[in-house]
Formats: sequence, C-alpha cells, structure tokens
Amino acid sequence: MANTIDARGLACPQPVILTKKALEANDDLIVLVDDTAARENVKRLAINMGFVVEEEHQGSETRIRINKVSVCTRAQGAITPQGPVVVVIASNTMGRGEDVLGGVLMKSFLHTLTQACPMPDTMILFNTGVKLAVKGSEVLDDLESLANAGVNILACGTCLNYFSLKENLIVGVVSNMYDISQTMLTAGRIVQI
Amino acid sequence: MSRVFRKVLLFESVSAVLVAEKVLKDRGIPYKLIPVPKHLSSDCGVCIRVNVEDLRSTEEILTGKVKVLSTHELSET
Repeated sequence: MANTIDARGLACPQPVILTKKALEANDDLIVLVDDTAARENVKRLAINMGFVVEEEHQGSETRIRINKVSVCTRAQGAITPQGPVVVVIASNTMGRGEDVLGGVLMKSFLHTLTQACPMPDTMILFNTGVKLAVKGSEVLDDLESLANAGVNILACGTCLNYFSLKENLIVGVVSNMYDISQTMLTAGRIVQI
Repeated sequence: MSRVFRKVLLFESVSAVLVAEKVLKDRGIPYKLIPVPKHLSSDCGVCIRVNVEDLRSTEEILTGKVKVLSTHELSET
C-alpha cells in the first residue's frame, strides 16, 4: 500500500521537500498536487532520484504515483562521485560557432562561478583558455577571486608558450601535461566548458 | 567582507549589451559584463555593471547610441 502525501494548496518548494523526505523512506508513494509548478517539480525530483512516475489528472488536481522499479534506469544519481570537482576550460569562448557570443558567455560563466557553492576545487585552462588568465583579460578579477577563495588554477605551460604569453600570466600557476592529466584522471567530476 | 554597492544596466538584447560594452571600453569607463542577477530578469541574460559614481556619465554616454531598459542597485559582498 502506497503512502499518500497531500500537497494540495502548498506553495513551492513545500511539495518537493515533503516528497523528497517521503522518498527517502518509501519506494512507493502517491503525491496529490493542484498546481502545475508543484506537479512538474515533484515529477522531476522523483525522476532524478531514479523513480518511475505516472500521473493521473482529476480536474485541477493531479495524482502522481511514484515508485521504484527494478529495471535499469538512468545513471543519474546512482553514482555519487568522490573526489575533487575540476572545471576544464579548453577555449577562451564558451561553446562553438559564434566567438563574439562565446566571449560573452564565458565572461558570464566565470562570474557565476565566483558565486557558486560549492566552488570547483581546480580549474584547468588550456589552448586559448589560457588567454583568460593573462594580462589584459577581462575576467582577471573573477579568476582572482576564485584563486583567493582557494580554487587551484592551472594554466597549460605549452599553451602559454605557444601564444608567447608565459610572462603575462597573472592568475594561476604554469602547469604541465603531467599535472593536467593527473588532475583530470583523479577528479571526482569534470565539468568541461 | 564589506558590501559593495554598484549599479547594473539592463538592455533588450545581447547585441545592445555589446554596443554598450564597446562604448564604455572606448571611453575608459570601468565596467563589467555580468549575468543578469537572479532577482532581476531580462530576455538577454547578460547586463553591464558599473560603479555607482559612474552611473550618470555612463547613461549620458550611452544616450542616443543604445537604449538602456532599466538600471538597478546591486549589492555584492
């Protein structure tokens, strides 16, 4: 018999919190909601936790049936990575296609990293990514605040050499492929930009 | 850490932000392109942050070149 959570009339994030708590103790649950945002958020939570979701609409109310099945589901959430979080920045632009836009996105991304919680443990800059950490870069202040917060910033020495920028490196340490590959191989999670 | 008060200027498009950025860069006004703070919203997602004391001159310089949608106070630690 499935437990039922009546989340009708509750404002977000209350339905999600109640569902999460209940799913930690139950594999079979029914959640009643009467709000679209609550419905979508509860469904997403359950799916992300590896459950299977069915819904049944009754007027403005939705009955969400959440349960665990033994079939193979998405890996998401199944493996909790252990080890440092490493952000790999392989270019001075974010995404491919339009470099002007990519420059804007990179500035925006690095600024949000300074406010991220948790911050990455290490950032690796290579190829044109090293240009972000040299004199004249518009994101030096963000990289500096990351470095000051304890983020280890590695700039690829070969790349700095290639662009003749080694003398201009302002933030981070000149690194080599041994350190870079070792850092990537021992990372708990890699976020590649 | 002390709180720093700055101003952010919102624009209607990424292209408008880029125009404003170029003007400010050419005029030597310190600015920073940042994502639009969460409590504000704009379609384009990026905006320009300036120091409080530069707001007036920034607005004057941008007049006629690019339309500023709105300006907001921003407090950061």
